[in-house]
Amino acid sequence: MKILFSFFMAVLAISPALAQDETFKRKFVNHTEFGGLFGRVKYDTYQGYGGNQKTVDSKASLSIQTFNGIHLNQRLDVGVTLGFDWYKTALLNPIAAGIRYDITKGPKARLFLTGDVGYGFNWLNQDSDGYKTKGGWMINPGVGLRMGKINSSSFTFSVSYKRQEAFADKPLLYNQTERTEDRVYNRIAARIGISF
Amino acid sequence: MKKQLLPLLFVLLASTLWSCNDQCKETRITRRYTPISISLAEIRSNVKTESPHDLVRPGKIYTKDNYLFINEIKTGIHVVDNSDPSNPKFLAFISIPGNGDISVRNNILYADSYTDLVAIDITDPANAKEVSRVQNVFRNGQFDGAAWFLNQTNGVDNLTIQDYTIDYVTETVTTNCEDNIASPIYYDSWFTTTSMLSSYAPSVSSGNSNGQAGSMSRFALYDNFLYTVSQNSMHLFNINDPAKPVDYTTVNVGWNIETIFPYQNKLFLGSSTGMFILDNSNPAAPKQLSMYEHARACDPVVVHDNIAYVTLRTGNSCGGNQNQLDLVDVSDASAPKLIRSYTMENPYGLSINFPNLFLCEGKNGFKVFDVSDKLTVDQHLLSFNTDMHAYDVISMGKNLMLIGDDGFYQFDASDPKNLKQLSKIAVKKAVQ
Repeated sequence: MKILFSFFMAVLAISPALAQDETFKRKFVNHTEFGGLFGRVKYDTYQGYGGNQKTVDSKASLSIQTFNGIHLNQRLDVGVTLGFDWYKTALLNPIAAGIRYDITKGPKARLFLTGDVGYGFNWLNQDSDGYKTKGGWMINPGVGLRMGKINSSSFTFSVSYKRQEAFADKPLLYNQTERTEDRVYNRIAARIGISF
Repeated sequence: MKKQLLPLLFVLLASTLWSCNDQCKETRITRRYTPISISLAEIRSNVKTESPHDLVRPGKIYTKDNYLFINEIKTGIHVVDNSDPSNPKFLAFISIPGNGDISVRNNILYADSYTDLVAIDITDPANAKEVSRVQNVFRNGQFDGAAWFLNQTNGVDNLTIQDYTIDYVTETVTTNCEDNIASPIYYDSWFTTTSMLSSYAPSVSSGNSNGQAGSMSRFALYDNFLYTVSQNSMHLFNINDPAKPVDYTTVNVGWNIETIFPYQNKLFLGSSTGMFILDNSNPAAPKQLSMYEHARACDPVVVHDNIAYVTLRTGNSCGGNQNQLDLVDVSDASAPKLIRSYTMENPYGLSINFPNLFLCEGKNGFKVFDVSDKLTVDQHLLSFNTDMHAYDVISMGKNLMLIGDDGFYQFDASDPKNLKQLSKIAVKKAVQ
C-alpha cells in the first residue's frame, strides 16, 4: 500500500514536467461511480458437518467509489480511488491507486480503460459477535464508455472485474481449536457515474 | 475503432466475467476423540521418576521454593530447578498417568492420577517416591475437552477408566462467504485444563510451607486441608500428616466448578456460571456465603484487597460470547458487587502483584495493567506483548512465569512497562 501510494505521489510530482501539451489543460478530475458487484458462490451446504452437497447462490453488493486525480495528458487520468463496498457481512473501504485512460477519440463518446489497485480496509466494518473480519488486497480493472464532450463533464458506464480479498476469524464450534476463513470476492462490477 | 464495434466489445468482455464466483475457504482445526479403556492396576503401577523429558503439551504450572513443577497433560510432572530463573534446569520427570493438578506442602507433592490422589515425596526431586495414595476419590474428570470416568458394571466399579485420546484434525471447506450465525454453538461443560491463572499470595500456615499454584488450579492448601474441586463438589483431604492424606469430606457447592482460589479465610470458586464465595474460617467445614452470577463463560478469578478480578472467556469448552474482565467488590463477601467490566480479547489466566495485573490473552498475547484506579483500568495498559501465546501466569514478586502453547517463559517484571525475558523453554513440537 505504501509503495503504491508513494508511486502515486511521485507521478503527481513529476506530472507538471511531462504535461507540456498545449491543447489541453492540466486539471483536477473527479469520477464518481455507483453500482453493483455481482457474482455467484458455490459452497458446501453443510460446510463439512454432514453430507457434501454443493449449493449455488447469486450475490449482489452495493458499491460506490470516487476517483480523484489529475488529468495528466489528453487521454490519461491518474489518481486515488476511495470506495465503499457493502458485502453481505463486511463493509470494506478500498483505497487504491487508479487510472482512467481513453482508448478512443470520439467527440461525443469515448471508450476508456479503468484500473484500480489497492487495499480494502475494515475501518467502518462492524462484526457479528464472535467474528473478526479483516480486509485485504483489491484489484479492479475494466472498460467503460464515456459520454460527453471533451473537456466537459461526462456520464460514464463501466463494466469491470473486481477481486477483493478478506479474512475472518470465526467463533469456535464444538471441539474446534481454530476456525478461520479466507475470502476472495470475485465480482463483476457494473457502474454508472459522472466525471468532470 | 468503429463505433459499432464498441457494444460488441462490451458484451465479449462481460461474458468472460459473467461466471465470477466468490471463493471462500474455511479452515478449522477440530479435536477428534478416540475412546480407550485403561485398567486402574496399570495406572497405579506407573508412577515413577524418569530422566527429564521435553515439554510437549504443558498444562498447569506450580512453584515452590526454587523448584518449578510443570504438568504435562495426562502424563506427569516436569521437575525444574529454577534457582537461576535465567537458566532453569530440568531435573526429572515424574510419570503420573492422568495427572492434571499439583500441590506441594513441605516435601510432599500431591497429584491427581485419574481416580486417585497420590502423595509423592520430593525431598530428592530426582528420585521422587510415591508414599501414599487415596484411591477412587475422583470419579470423573476432564482433560483438554475429553471427559474420563470410572467404569461400572451393574453399579459396581470394574476398575477400568474410560478415556479418550485426542487428535487434531485440520479440515478445509468452501463456504458462502458469510457469517453463519445460526450454527449451534455447542456447550461443553468441561473446562480446558491448559488454562490456568494465579496470584502471588505467600501461603504459609502453621509452620508448614506450601507452594504457589495457578489459581485456576483445582487444588488448594489451607490449614490442615487439601481442597480439590471437581465438577459439582469440593473434596477435603486431611493432611495433618502430609505424607498420609486422608479422605475427609465432600462439600456440594454448585455446578461446573473450575477453579479454587484461597484468599484470607475465604475460598473463591470459579464456575462457568459464576463465582462462589465460601467462608473458610472453619477449614474443616467451608460454608457458602454467596454467588456472584455472570453469563456462561470460563471465569478464572484472583483476589486482592477485597477486589476480585474475574475474567470471562468464550471458546470451545466455555460457551457464551463475552470476553471481559470484571472487577468485583467482595468487601462484603455475602453480597459481591460489580465495580466495572472491561472488554478483553480472549482472556485466560491472570495474576496480580498490586498494582500490576498480568493477564494472558491466549494467542493474542499478554497484557500488563495498572489497576490502582478501579474505574479506568482500560486506560492503564502498561504493555501488550503480542508475539507469544499466553495461557497462564504466576507472578512472584519481580519474577514472572508464563506458560503458553509455544513454551514456558520467565520475565523480570521489575519494570512492568518493559518486561525483560530471562529464559524460555520451548515446547518440543507444535501440538496443533
